[in-house]
Amino acid sequence: MRSKIDKTLLIVILLAFLVSIYLIFQWVPQIKASNPAEQIAQRIFYFHVPSAWLGFLAFFVVFGGSVAYLATRDRKYELISVASAEIGVLFITLVLITGPIWAKPVWGIWWTWDVRLTSSLILWLIYVAFLMLRRYLPDGSKRANLSAVVGIIGFIDVPIVYYSIRWWETQHPQAVMASSDGSLAAPMFFTFMFSLATFTLLYVYLIRKRYQLLALEDILNKQFKEMEIL
Amino acid sequence: MSVPALEIIGVSKDFGRIIALRSVTFSVQSGEFVSILGRNGAGKTTLLNIISGVSRPSEGSVQLFGTDPNDRVNKAKLALISHEMFLYGNLTALENLEYYSRIYNVQDAQERIETVLNNVELTHRRFDLVATYSRGMTQRLTIARALLHGPSLLLLDEPFTGLDQHAIGMLITLLKKQKELGRTILLTTHDLHTAAELSDRYLVISKHKIVKDGLISETNPDEIREAFFSSETEESNP
Amino acid sequence: MMRAAISILKKDLRMEFRSKESILAMWIFSLLIFVIFNFTFEVSRLVMLEIAPGLLWVAFVFSGMFGLNQSFSLEKENGNLRAMALMPVDGGQIYVGKFLSVTIIMLMFEALIFPIFIIFYDLQLSVGMFMLIPVLLAGTIGFTSLGTILSAVAVHTRNQQILLSLLLWPLVSPIIIWSVTLTGMVLSGEVTDAFYPLLLRVGAFDVIFFTLSYMLFDFILED
Repeated sequence: MRSKIDKTLLIVILLAFLVSIYLIFQWVPQIKASNPAEQIAQRIFYFHVPSAWLGFLAFFVVFGGSVAYLATRDRKYELISVASAEIGVLFITLVLITGPIWAKPVWGIWWTWDVRLTSSLILWLIYVAFLMLRRYLPDGSKRANLSAVVGIIGFIDVPIVYYSIRWWETQHPQAVMASSDGSLAAPMFFTFMFSLATFTLLYVYLIRKRYQLLALEDILNKQFKEMEIL
Repeated sequence: MSVPALEIIGVSKDFGRIIALRSVTFSVQSGEFVSILGRNGAGKTTLLNIISGVSRPSEGSVQLFGTDPNDRVNKAKLALISHEMFLYGNLTALENLEYYSRIYNVQDAQERIETVLNNVELTHRRFDLVATYSRGMTQRLTIARALLHGPSLLLLDEPFTGLDQHAIGMLITLLKKQKELGRTILLTTHDLHTAAELSDRYLVISKHKIVKDGLISETNPDEIREAFFSSETEESNP
Repeated sequence: MMRAAISILKKDLRMEFRSKESILAMWIFSLLIFVIFNFTFEVSRLVMLEIAPGLLWVAFVFSGMFGLNQSFSLEKENGNLRAMALMPVDGGQIYVGKFLSVTIIMLMFEALIFPIFIIFYDLQLSVGMFMLIPVLLAGTIGFTSLGTILSAVAVHTRNQQILLSLLLWPLVSPIIIWSVTLTGMVLSGEVTDAFYPLLLRVGAFDVIFFTLSYMLFDFILED
């Protein structure tokens, strides 16, 4: 049953990706830009922004999982948090990579301390700290408690961090990444939403798989203990 | 029948890869002295952690004097003595005890402090920093600290390990005194002889379960030794 | 009600005043930062005035982390964290006690290093300097309210210092951003209308994370 859902998901995702690529690189009209490099680079927007949204969603799931864990002490919520944190790091890393790729042709610089990139960097650092904390602790309820606390505190801080950097930006104007979500022409909007949907499905698939793997490891470990292999 | 001091029903500690206890059930009446025997890693320390409220069981229930171990009233009645000192090296013995007397809201604190210091024969060193104490002395002070608030339930985790003879003798005397006062005592140990000497009852934990629960008086020493060692050999012969 | 928190505070302060370990190390560490900065960044006096607030807070945060590590190391040392889990005291009370001791020690360190800062960078003292007091107070409290709980988390690992830095720096960045701006306003004498709203934000941060930490601390103590 479970693997049927996963198989279906995988096929849907692959198809969606193919469609997305077509939409992004063939279908959506060229933007008016000063140089061809910029025109191509702009298409990164369709990867960059959805990745950022999903990174944030993943962090929200870490928060939700952490709260659920502390309320119930149920291992599965801890595993959901961890799985989501790992995938979140993945997505945010994508943001941090696509950002400079976009910026260079458009602005001539690799990095800008604008609010989105900077907040993404800080979000990335918080996730990484969360995962490193877990790495340096032995498995058990203590580690689950501590990482849940960090998951909660981290998430509550993220909007504050964003807000403070945005304020800082008004004091120190930066080269801003083209925001583009303000007024998107219809085909662009459609392409963006399609890409977002594809990425979301990818997130769901990845977190399911990761969670299943973690849960399976638990079951195996228990079996081995019962059989006294460990 | 009055409320038992300790009631554990179906307690398991089973989290992720860690299995520490499996379906442990027993109860202890007030005033009983129970020894808990078992190999390292069998689950003794986890059991004490759960009884004291420091750890939560994955399954099952624990009740101390009829209520949750984490109840403030229960925590005030409890003391744990383990290899951890629970003392601050940078403070004097007196300062350490004064700190704990405030935390535990000990009545007639100065008197109590004097009494416990006397009992562990550390009165002459009370103004010295704990960092200057020898190992044996810190162990005695740890015991004094535990008894300071007059706990009704005493938990001891391998208290004799690493103690010098003098301290062992002192601890045995103190424990006998506590028993006379009607305190409930749970002691984990490897030392079968002392266990037999001090306790009324014993439990053997093996592979995270209780495998034997008997009265010292009704069991001859060889049987106890056998129960203990067979649990050991079982574990080394998979 | 606050009895336990006050007892913990007193105990920590007594230990610190006896050894002066924390304050001394924090002070020297900041001193070193100031000295090295002088050699690594050759800037004109004008630019220096712009950078000074940032430098001050960088020094505070680095030294502050040392103080936080110290505070919980002492607890970890003799199993005192478990002793705290056993006490008939709410986790929140224990948090308040540790928070207060860390904050007071850090404020004392700040008072002692600030004159050095003024002297090294030849900054003009003026009456307006008193505005710095609420700025340092609010900023420090923001730092220690988060720092206390994160330090309690980090102390369970074998690389407590690295993990505390990793956890604390990103989370405390809003405090740094706002405090540097506020400090800059006071030092340059240009306290604009933005000052009070900004200070309020720092205050809000303090309240949010103090409350959050107070509520979550019990989970840190549990095994």
